[in-house]
Amino acid sequence: MEATVMPRSWNLETKPHKFCPGCGHGLVLRALGEAIDELDIQDRSVFGCDIGCSLLAWDFFNLDSVQTHHGRTVPVVVGLVRANPNLIGIAYMGDGGGYAIGAQHLVNSANRNDKILVVLVNNTNYGMTGGQMAPTTLPDQVTETTPYGRNIMETGAPTQGAEMVTAITPEGAYVARGTVAKMNRLKKMFKRALLNVAEGNGFSFIEILSTCPTNWRTNARDTWKFLEEDMTKYFKVGELKVPPTLKEE
Amino acid sequence: MEKPIVEEKRVFMTGNEVVAWGAIAAQADIMYGYPITPQNEIMHYWTRLAPKYQKKFLQTEDELSAGFATIGGVIAGKKAFSATAGPGNTLFQEPVSMAEMMRIPMVVVIQQRGGPSTATVIYSQQEVNMTTYGGNGEGMRIVYSTASHQELFDCMIKAFNNAWKYRFPTFVLGDGYQAKMREPLVMYDPQDRGIELIEPEIIIGKEGVPGRDRDPVFLRNAYSMEEELYDVLMPTIEEYDRIAPEITEYHSFSCEDADLIIVAHGIVSRAAVAAVEDLRKEGVKVGVFRPVTLRPFPEEALREVAGITPNFLVVESSNGQMARLFKEALFGMEVKMDTIFKPGVGITSEEIVQQVKNIADSGIKTTIK
Amino acid sequence: MNIVEAYVGEYASGKSENAVNRALELVEQGRRVTLVDLDLVEPFYTLRPLKKTLESKGVRVIAWETKETFGLGEAGYVLKPEMRWALRREGDIIFDVGYGIQGIKIFNLIEGLWENEDLKIYVVVNISRPMTSSVEDIITYLSSFKKVDGLINNSHLGEQTDLDIIQEGACIVGEVSRLTQIPVIASTMEKTFAALVGSESFMGFPVRYIERYMPQTFW
Repeated sequence: MEATVMPRSWNLETKPHKFCPGCGHGLVLRALGEAIDELDIQDRSVFGCDIGCSLLAWDFFNLDSVQTHHGRTVPVVVGLVRANPNLIGIAYMGDGGGYAIGAQHLVNSANRNDKILVVLVNNTNYGMTGGQMAPTTLPDQVTETTPYGRNIMETGAPTQGAEMVTAITPEGAYVARGTVAKMNRLKKMFKRALLNVAEGNGFSFIEILSTCPTNWRTNARDTWKFLEEDMTKYFKVGELKVPPTLKEE
Repeated sequence: MEKPIVEEKRVFMTGNEVVAWGAIAAQADIMYGYPITPQNEIMHYWTRLAPKYQKKFLQTEDELSAGFATIGGVIAGKKAFSATAGPGNTLFQEPVSMAEMMRIPMVVVIQQRGGPSTATVIYSQQEVNMTTYGGNGEGMRIVYSTASHQELFDCMIKAFNNAWKYRFPTFVLGDGYQAKMREPLVMYDPQDRGIELIEPEIIIGKEGVPGRDRDPVFLRNAYSMEEELYDVLMPTIEEYDRIAPEITEYHSFSCEDADLIIVAHGIVSRAAVAAVEDLRKEGVKVGVFRPVTLRPFPEEALREVAGITPNFLVVESSNGQMARLFKEALFGMEVKMDTIFKPGVGITSEEIVQQVKNIADSGIKTTIK
Repeated sequence: MNIVEAYVGEYASGKSENAVNRALELVEQGRRVTLVDLDLVEPFYTLRPLKKTLESKGVRVIAWETKETFGLGEAGYVLKPEMRWALRREGDIIFDVGYGIQGIKIFNLIEGLWENEDLKIYVVVNISRPMTSSVEDIITYLSSFKKVDGLINNSHLGEQTDLDIIQEGACIVGEVSRLTQIPVIASTMEKTFAALVGSESFMGFPVRYIERYMPQTFW
């Protein structure tokens, strides 16, 4: 496998991809692709993506894929796997799609323990619409709609989404927060999350701390510093909920 | 598996039960639904029947989810459907517009209730605008408006067949009265009557490894360029227009020699027919024109009857929502239109009889050009 | 002795029609009768719109008035407190029961009902209803009740009802009765059939002629 530069499950015809230089999406999708390859589940996996930057992944994989509406990827993927339970449904979205406009779908799907994997990329802002405040925007962070910095007294504190999902999922669910700064660990999380779905144990959820240099207006060094130092202050990386079936590593 | 409908049988049911049985007869596989009155018994009956006929059901968190999950079920290759009303129909317009863009067949039953807003759970014909042209698009959907339980059953079968044949989202538009009233109908297995049922196809999750055994399927509704969107939309609009005559349905009753034609759809048309029967006994020459499909609207047929008489009485339990379709269909013709508009309220044959008599006394009031 | 009867059945089986007609019959005999609208399932065809008519004929009716039922269908059905205490009233009590999927547990809502020794539960059957159309279906259906004291054949097709459907219903319900040992209390039909049937019994079962009130009760 080492001979291939790109994961087998990637669609080479649509590469190079269209994410900005320094964007974390490519890294997330790489880890996801490798996990699919290593579990050999390309024939069963289907991919749904949201609106926002995540929609640029609509033709990213050699997987049957559907691009949906903002926040509505979870119900589409739920509908798919309810109709065909043999499929491994992957719902890919940003923090706005999962924690704001589509929050009710995430909450209820998690609570139902739907056998799907939800991948939520947290880059602390709405990237595609031009860098507005997201549920995950850090305190005092400047965005287009918080030009003087996010005032958490007025707009609330960054959403602790993975912790919320942990609290509301029943046993059998897998919940983790990864980061594009730790790619091997992220791939492992994906493998465990996908395995959990493939084996029909329960809902799997991974929030991934990611980068958005374009809207953060940061150079490479500051991008990495924001990801590694600022974001991890609010968002703790690690596995939050592991079903007993997956305990052995 | 036990065959749900073994032989043709006269039964006595409520409209919501008819919808559930119609979906069974049409070989629907899965329903995604969210509670809202007056459609609830569709879910109640579907879930009661489900284990016996190996059907599935998911109660979602809202109508957005019900609509998008229905799309998920359809692209997985199943005949999926839902049912809703009022504010639920409002939420459904989002997934339905996605289905229009991506040519995804889906069936949604609307049991209209009073509006706007929460209003009453009882009855209205106020969801015509939204059901025919709702969503941020061009109204590329099929809408049946039914007037009896028999037609409700027949239209469920047609709705599934036409949705999957033409790949446009399809609505069956009923109302709170139809949902709850009881009357006899004949239930049948469409295949026993020689009606071929269109098989669904798997769109997402086909056999084989994408990229190795076959190309992957990429579905999208987002486009970068105006021209790109235009190139996708125009063939769809042209196709819709081309197939419209194959789908369009209407009923006309006693129009041949009429001096005045009453236009009504759905349950209101029954009062119109009763009024015509009464008026004919008194020698008043009136007829009824009833669009069965509100989208596509039976324009040609309506223009033909406008050749018999230019005098129309448009009757509906809304403030002119169907009249708008009527006027558009007759654009350029000189006709006269009187109206009975009672938003959210039922209309009796006596009221229609009275109005026809008033018109005869005073002359038709509105002229459209 | 007081008469306490509950009429249960599927949507459109005719349970309300039977309950109304029974209440009127008892009133005509000079008895004190209270009719209780215990339909928690169906907010549409209920006794509400008939309340005044029935009261003018001497039946006491415990039912909501439509204008009192704010948000009906959205808020769900609300039990009227008088319903809970209906059995504390003097005279005969007739329940019109829409019971839903929770089955006969609805009687838990009526204080003292299960302990009432006079209680008779009558299941109204219309074989034109798909889930109670055959002997097997009806027996399965009956198994959901804790106690059934009698069956009523009320097979009909609304305005299209003919003697054939009543007859077929009587055959099927009769067979159910033979297999379950639950007696057939009556075969019911509209008064217009009286000339055709012409007697107090039809196919060996007592006939109850009924007048149709429920078509007036939409909402």
